[in-house]
Amino acid sequence: MWSRSNTISMIFVALATTLVCLYARGWGYTIVQHIGISTDFTDITISAAIILSGGLAMLCGADLPVVLIIGTLGVFVSLTLAQDALVRYLSLAAVLFSIGVYGMVVSRNAVRVLMSIELMLNAVNINLVAFARYVDPNLIRGQLFAIFILTVAAAEAAVGLAIVLAVYRNMSTVDMERFNLLKW
Amino acid sequence: MGENLTALTAWAQNHSETTAFYILAFLAIPFAYGVLLDRRIIRSGFLLIGVFGAISGVFLLLQAQFLAMAQIMIYAVGITLVVVIALMLTNPRLEHDVNPAIPVAKTSGIVVSILLFVTIYLSLRSEIWPLSPSPVKADNVLQIGTGLLTYYSLPFEFASVLLLVALIGAIMLARAEHRPPSQMEERLDAQEDLSSERNDNVVQV
Repeated sequence: MWSRSNTISMIFVALATTLVCLYARGWGYTIVQHIGISTDFTDITISAAIILSGGLAMLCGADLPVVLIIGTLGVFVSLTLAQDALVRYLSLAAVLFSIGVYGMVVSRNAVRVLMSIELMLNAVNINLVAFARYVDPNLIRGQLFAIFILTVAAAEAAVGLAIVLAVYRNMSTVDMERFNLLKW
Repeated sequence: MGENLTALTAWAQNHSETTAFYILAFLAIPFAYGVLLDRRIIRSGFLLIGVFGAISGVFLLLQAQFLAMAQIMIYAVGITLVVVIALMLTNPRLEHDVNPAIPVAKTSGIVVSILLFVTIYLSLRSEIWPLSPSPVKADNVLQIGTGLLTYYSLPFEFASVLLLVALIGAIMLARAEHRPPSQMEERLDAQEDLSSERNDNVVQV
């Protein structure tokens, strides 16, 4: 079952891994200098290259999940490796939040949309706890705020899933494209 | 190759927090994608446990022990259980052969989320953070408890009222409407016809 899309996905994986390894070994700087970009933007250049090659691989017909996962991991590593610990945690939260937004826009099933919202709330919690650890370690107000977000998330999950069940009872479907109860 | 490997292990021993962080991130991000992209939605419900577990590991790295435990108890057990039960009640078999993504939103969703991440990341990177060098105190659970019952007691009470209201509201929404028995039976019969038709369709496909 080896097809053309598998080959292109493998090429993309190899390319992204090579770029990240080059950057981690410190050879990215010389390459970027050779092209003529300031070395302050090495990580951004590397991640732009990964994103562009991911788009190209998608146009050539690569697997969407492979490109998304490997591309995200490569961009994440190359953007955070040289940063402070606080920026690393905040970037992880930003990645998870963006994945949640993507899932919320794209998903067809209403329950999956609710799962994406849970993901976004969790990403915000990581932000608050990271600030409590690195900016405000004496009073840890961030952890207190995270507890309130936990409460709101539990309430949201209960009410949201009850609404999904009510809609399913009336419409016999949970497909987001077929909810037209509120359309005039 | 061997030299590289020994250098990598030495680096990992010196930077154990960074190594643990990247391991947790490499668990959390693929699990999060699995939640969105898996065709069988019941499986993505269980992958959600993996995401929440990895995030609770991140909380442990950030010295928030109470939140890590609360994360496992509330999210990985409670909310995932509710989600999976809702999936079972809304018949996940219907989604099997359907493409999980809305086609129009597929590319635009990717573009929007990449732009969102770029905006957040650039603003994080260009900011000068007022970092504090001291670690979190060892009795941080005591600090949280004292804070909740003294300075933050009003939000704490509001949170409990919110939970009560959400509980009652969820029961009101999810409860079946009251009907006379005869109508109820007709409705059940109609539902059985519908489900048998649906099963026929599945078999034919």
